[in-house]
Amino acid sequence: MLSSLRTRSFVALALLPAVLIFVVFAIIPIIWSMYYGFFDWKGLGAAKFIGFKNYEMMLQDPIFWRALKNNLILVVSAIVGQVPIALLLALLLLKNSFFNRIIRSAVFMPMVLSTVVVGLIWGYIYNPQIGLLNQVLETIGLESWTRAWLDDPKINMFAVSIPINWANIGPYLIIFIAALQNISSEVNDAAKIDGAVGSKKLFYVTLPMIWDMVVVAIVLCISGSLKAFDHVIVMTGGGPAQSTELLATYMYNNTFTVYRYGYGSAVSTMIILISALLIGLNYIITKRRS
Amino acid sequence: MQASTKMQAAGEKPAAWKKPVGFALKVLLLIYAIVTLYPLYWLVISAFKTNQEFFNRPYAWPLQWQIDNITRAWDLGNMGRAMINSAIVTIVALVLTVVIGTLAAYALSRFKFKLNPLLKGMFLLGMLIPIHSTLVPLFIFMNKVGILDTYWALIMPYTAFELPIAIFLGIAYLTSIPRDVEEAAMIDGNGWWGVFGRIIFPLCLPVISTVSILAFLRFWNDFSFALVFINTQALKTLPLSLSLFSDGFGTDYALTMGAMFIAVIPTIVIYLIFQEQIMKGMVAGSVKG
Amino acid sequence: MKKRLTLVVTLITLLSLLVAACGGSNNTNTGGSNKPAEGGKQEKVKLTIWHNFAGDDLRAQAVRGLIDEYKKNNPNVELDAQAIPVDGYRQRLSTVAAGNEMPDVFFVYAGSQSQEFFDAGLLQPITPLTEKYPDWKGNFMEGAFDRFTFEPNQIYSAPIGLSATSFLYYNKDLFEQYNVKVPTTWAEMLTAIKTFNDNKITPIALGNKAPWVAQSTILGSLADRVTGTEWFLKAAKGEASFQDQVFVDALGKFKELVDNKAFQDGANSIDNTQAEQYFIQGKAAMMISGAWTLTNLAASATEEQVAPIEVTTIPAIEGGAGQGGTISGGPGAGFALSKNTTGAAKDAALELIYAISGPDGQKKIAESNSMIMYNMDLEQSNVSPLYLKAFNVVKEATITPVYDAYLSAEAAESINNGLQEIMMGGKPEDVAKKLQDAQARSTQ
Repeated sequence: MLSSLRTRSFVALALLPAVLIFVVFAIIPIIWSMYYGFFDWKGLGAAKFIGFKNYEMMLQDPIFWRALKNNLILVVSAIVGQVPIALLLALLLLKNSFFNRIIRSAVFMPMVLSTVVVGLIWGYIYNPQIGLLNQVLETIGLESWTRAWLDDPKINMFAVSIPINWANIGPYLIIFIAALQNISSEVNDAAKIDGAVGSKKLFYVTLPMIWDMVVVAIVLCISGSLKAFDHVIVMTGGGPAQSTELLATYMYNNTFTVYRYGYGSAVSTMIILISALLIGLNYIITKRRS
Repeated sequence: MQASTKMQAAGEKPAAWKKPVGFALKVLLLIYAIVTLYPLYWLVISAFKTNQEFFNRPYAWPLQWQIDNITRAWDLGNMGRAMINSAIVTIVALVLTVVIGTLAAYALSRFKFKLNPLLKGMFLLGMLIPIHSTLVPLFIFMNKVGILDTYWALIMPYTAFELPIAIFLGIAYLTSIPRDVEEAAMIDGNGWWGVFGRIIFPLCLPVISTVSILAFLRFWNDFSFALVFINTQALKTLPLSLSLFSDGFGTDYALTMGAMFIAVIPTIVIYLIFQEQIMKGMVAGSVKG
Repeated sequence: MKKRLTLVVTLITLLSLLVAACGGSNNTNTGGSNKPAEGGKQEKVKLTIWHNFAGDDLRAQAVRGLIDEYKKNNPNVELDAQAIPVDGYRQRLSTVAAGNEMPDVFFVYAGSQSQEFFDAGLLQPITPLTEKYPDWKGNFMEGAFDRFTFEPNQIYSAPIGLSATSFLYYNKDLFEQYNVKVPTTWAEMLTAIKTFNDNKITPIALGNKAPWVAQSTILGSLADRVTGTEWFLKAAKGEASFQDQVFVDALGKFKELVDNKAFQDGANSIDNTQAEQYFIQGKAAMMISGAWTLTNLAASATEEQVAPIEVTTIPAIEGGAGQGGTISGGPGAGFALSKNTTGAAKDAALELIYAISGPDGQKKIAESNSMIMYNMDLEQSNVSPLYLKAFNVVKEATITPVYDAYLSAEAAESINNGLQEIMMGGKPEDVAKKLQDAQARSTQ
């Protein structure tokens, strides 16, 4: 298709601004930061080149592994939670009725609120003394279930993941609605004539049509979950005793709180590597399915 | 279009009557919506309470609606100025992201060339970058080139970090649009730029609306870049005003809620506008398609 | 390292011509361009000051007021004063430090932060001020400059606060109602805890979500009573180990509190403000907290709520090496001077520091219900009654070190997390080991 000069110059010019801005303001800084990852540097003063020592220390630090495990909990909960729920809601709310519009806006609302508000309200829901959740459990006679939800290291990561998922369904809903609306009415009519209705239509017509969007959504889930930061910082600060530490909070603390800038940079490089690995896996799996 | 509307009209009411499942589904959706709207409700009632009331009756309706938190937060946080700054930065970055991103997505989705997969991979990498790790390099770099402490110090990084999502959603969306539309337009004598401007960009409105909402929220709520890359008080953006009332030893919850209440209003308005746009895009799309 | 970095920078600079073109019109020059003042004879001096007194509390208002006053009195100084939210202050300062772009005058915490900045060569002493105003220096309390003296005979900042971190606040009414003696010994403390628990009152309110709280308010004083001050100072220097039995015992005392259910459920997931409110609402009988609670309560509690609150020190521990009646505390933060500030700007910057930390400044800050390390007579009518109670407690008490003012940042983080771990059932021995490892690694 790239035959004529005009076409070629169009493609080059169309890509130029995006590539330029992206390389200068995202790629170079991140490479720069990867470079810091090979130094023993406090973020101030002199730096000492130490090769892969930061990575060695990282792999030996149990907190790193815990953070990774917590992140993986988030990734899994996002993929099995956010994507199917958002898809289901998108199918239910596709028609542009008044009722649907209200529900759609409501689903998106937590995204509109800043993470601080979301973190604060869920902090109150989980509050051990005056929390809504414990009050509700007491009212319905499940007193033995009440607990300090964000305190108990056995469950607090799950407690944290619920608000994160809940707050992030909105964008996926929108993405799916936009994709579903793009399925032309002819395709739908054709499906109807062929007798494809209900779940049959969903799996043989609708899903394949928007499969690219589903893959993108999963990629967004993976990268978003591995970068997750704000909600956890507000709700638990990664605690207690680092039990809800995530890779991003772990990186942040090392970089800005305890002056291990080089180490923090190595952690952020690791975050990128792990995300890339998971996304590669995702592409392999989803390709096979389609 | 007309046919489908008729079908809906004919099908909907009796179905809801006949099928209790449909009705139950609606009730469930309604409950879900109420649960989801609750934080917003909580934010609003909390913004109008005194600190004592906030702690003593955290879920109750305010005894007396106090406007005090809002006005004080507005003054102390210099929120009028901050809101103008946020608006400038957000709008410019948004326009850049959408135009540049859609253009790149179009080029990457329609044309095969050697660098294509490499570029896609590079943009994918951009989605994985934890932004905090770029703070120091970006600071040093922007300081050297002299754009630190200007609107550009926020606009450029915002755009750069939002481009990957814009491009990826754009590519995924464009692959579902048949090519014959463009080919017809080419025959009509439009160049590629014409095709992009007259056909593709309008066709992409639903996905552009999606990207716009996501980007708007990200830019509007960003704290880290805004904190580090702007010095001048007069250029400070809104999120910095929101954290003013917490000093590490204690938090003035009433003022914080007041400030958040102010900050959330524009985001709701913007969301409602773009939501309409997605729907309009659909209508336009289905007429042409 | 430097050379290679420069290379990278140059490369990027080349790549960014486009950007520079975009930003050209908006360029602001941060370097001091000294234009003569309009109609004045003096040279205009440009100065930047960064602090985190951004909020609405009395202390923040007082400090901002002092800066404004300096501005008014020095028309020849073009002062750019930046109030940065506390939540982002550390991050902001760390980032500019990495880029070696420090403001002329900035607010630093005593302890690891100022130490790191000094080690990196970013600070210069403010000693000239003490030569100019000898009385001023003499009026500070003993130990005020301990954490700002990085080399002999040079001070790098003057504290504008005394951070007394470990008052025992208690609700007199609850103690009377349940007929409990205000604890002065560890045994009495345990009795009080039991009695309140039996009556479904939380003995001690604690909001340890930000994990420095338990360390700063409880551990410092508690451990000092067990180990004595000398041992801690030795351990901080690496001459004793945190794995010594005496420190494990000190952590054991904290664990005893936890095991006896002294704190309310979920103390690790609520913040300090929420704990204060829980206490002030009469749901808890005691709270161990710092002077900042005075400021917070002054802003958010009613008079009736504050009336039954009394202040004392935490109880003595029988058989420990340290005394009772002491309070952990030390110089709070102060303003420091950047190494890059020279000439007329330096003189103006020093005067600015004096305007905030000098006698008048200290007085204004004290009157905002904050503790200071500067000796002066306080007009009682200008402060809250609760503040006065606390002020009198401090006057009588010996000040002992706060842990995180002496530990490295990494070690402080370790003990903060360690205390949370103990609250979740962890073993003192393990926590002690981690603390020792962190301190050893970061000071080697």
